[in-house]
Amino acid sequence: MALSVEEIEAAMIAKAEKSPKPQLYIKDFYACAPDMKPREVKKIANALVTKGKLMFWSSGSTTMYAVPSRIKDEEK
Amino acid sequence: MAKHETPLLDELEKGPWPSFVTDLKRQAETKPECWDILGQLELSYKDRITHWKHGGIVGVFGYGGGIVGRYSDVPAQFPGVEHFHTVRIAQPSGLYYTTENLRALMDLWEKYGSGVTNMHGSTGDMIFLGTRTENLEPLFWDLTHDLGQDLGGSGSNLRTPACCLGESRCEWACYDSQEICNHLTQHYQDEIHRPAFPYKFKFKFSACPNDCVAAIARSDFSVIGTWKDNIRIDQAAVKEYMADNAEYPSNGGAHKGGDWGPFDIQKEVIDLCPTQCMWMEGDELKIDDAECTRCMHCINVMPRALRPGAEKGASILIGAKAPILDGAQFSTLVIPFIEVNKESDFEEVIDVIEKVWDWWMEVGKNRERVGETMQRVGLPTFLSVMEVEPLPQHVKEPRSNPYVFWKEEEVPGGWDRDVKEFRKRHAA
Ligand code: HEM
Ligand code: HEM
Ligand code: SF4
Ligand code: SF4
Repeated sequence: MALSVEEIEAAMIAKAEKSPKPQLYIKDFYACAPDMKPREVKKIANALVTKGKLMFWSSGSTTMYAVPSRIKDEEK
Repeated sequence: MAKHETPLLDELEKGPWPSFVTDLKRQAETKPECWDILGQLELSYKDRITHWKHGGIVGVFGYGGGIVGRYSDVPAQFPGVEHFHTVRIAQPSGLYYTTENLRALMDLWEKYGSGVTNMHGSTGDMIFLGTRTENLEPLFWDLTHDLGQDLGGSGSNLRTPACCLGESRCEWACYDSQEICNHLTQHYQDEIHRPAFPYKFKFKFSACPNDCVAAIARSDFSVIGTWKDNIRIDQAAVKEYMADNAEYPSNGGAHKGGDWGPFDIQKEVIDLCPTQCMWMEGDELKIDDAECTRCMHCINVMPRALRPGAEKGASILIGAKAPILDGAQFSTLVIPFIEVNKESDFEEVIDVIEKVWDWWMEVGKNRERVGETMQRVGLPTFLSVMEVEPLPQHVKEPRSNPYVFWKEEEVPGGWDRDVKEFRKRHAA
């Protein structure tokens, strides 16, 4: 049975909280929504950023996702 | 007065060339933080290691791209570059600015940043180099509200699409590169501003094979104008070139300064045709168009006599990149001819784009450009993903692999095989 969006969101946040490295690639989230197309997963990840549950971390050439509390802010 | 001694950098001011060191020293007269760029770079030359930290979390609200965060790892020594973020400003199609707009942009950057710019970066955007985090939101507000302009892409986003000036000025344009560039920029706002992919993805549009935006070298998805029918020849104008009429200078007069002697069509055009498909028959110029690769050479040399054909469109090439993991590579021809059609809202091109994305997002590894994914799986596999029949034009070199792998549907009658039964006798 397909997962609901809420279940997928929860799985994505759980994954970002438990991962060995705080930053995850978008592809790392695909497994949280096995029935979805990657572009749909991307939309959910970006919506989580808007809600403040995840945040972007960018090297300039690559963008990754992280749980805000796990990221060292260069300015603090 | 110099704030730091920079003997190593000062070497770069010697010689006849323009020097970024001189430029930055001049800029430092009004923007003292520029001294700290020089100071930190001098230290890097001494230490032989960069003093920029890589990456971060800065951006403007709602956007996952457009700002590239940079911090100094020696801020106590160089406080002016403690934060030194780059801002990408989306450029207008074909890089048409009014002087009024350029002044407004420069005023904005004087107000919120270091005043240092790079016009334009290799992605295409106008690059503003060096500002602090607290300036980003006010700058973004003024940029979007007062100037009606937007940030470009960075990170794993669709990067700001770029195009040649095409039909606005150029008689060789085979499609409206500015129109499609603008259309797709609007159509893919989400992909430009929020990360979408395993890695960056770039579109570039050149309206003819002269490829003025270097789409073939700089974009994952290169749309290059071409024509299907024959080069249009005006034989009377060919004769004027051959007679060295001053009204018909070769290359439109671009090389007029040199003493090249009289125009020699054999030496300058026919012998240089890469596929040797041109010849003279009496005083008529002939072209075997089936062999022409659309290199543009003959048209560039004799623009008043030769023109692209009338049945115009584009070729789509996929997979260029500059070296990060492996060497640089050009895009590979995938779609030989496609109509680039405003009436259909460029639906034909969009179909190809989304086919590439759907596959690459699934199959591409993290930080793998689509050109690398293509190389990994091989062109035959990629062509079948794209549902394109292989053509001789897809072949870069004679085969180097002696094996031929047939698929069942490619062999008349197919075949039956029971792998389990086979493995009973031949363990894997
Ligand atoms: C209003 C100001 C400007 C206008 C209207 C303008 C216009 C142009 C045009 C039309 C070309 C293409 C020439 C061709 O290949 O046919 C060009 C090329 C170029 N411009 Fe400008 N330009 C301006 C300012 C600048 C500035 C300020 C710089 C550098 C600081 C610059 C650097 C260049 C360079 C390097 C090229 C060659 C690009 C290449 O070879 O790909 N331009 N410009
Ligand atoms: C000796 C010193 C430097 C060299 C040789 C150098 C060289 C280059 C080259 C070759 C590029 C690619 C340009 C293009 O194709 O458009 C580039 C891009 C860039 N450089 Fe530098 N650079 C130097 C110093 C700096 C400094 C001091 C900064 C920042 C303070 C900087 C920031 C950038 C940025 C942000 C880009 C990317 C522009 C884009 O988005 O296309 N560079 N640099
Ligand atoms: S790419 Fe071709 S059409 Fe576009 S500006 Fe250059 S010469 Fe003209
Ligand atoms: S465009 Fe190039 S390949 Fe074609 S006829 Fe002219 S010189 Fe030859």
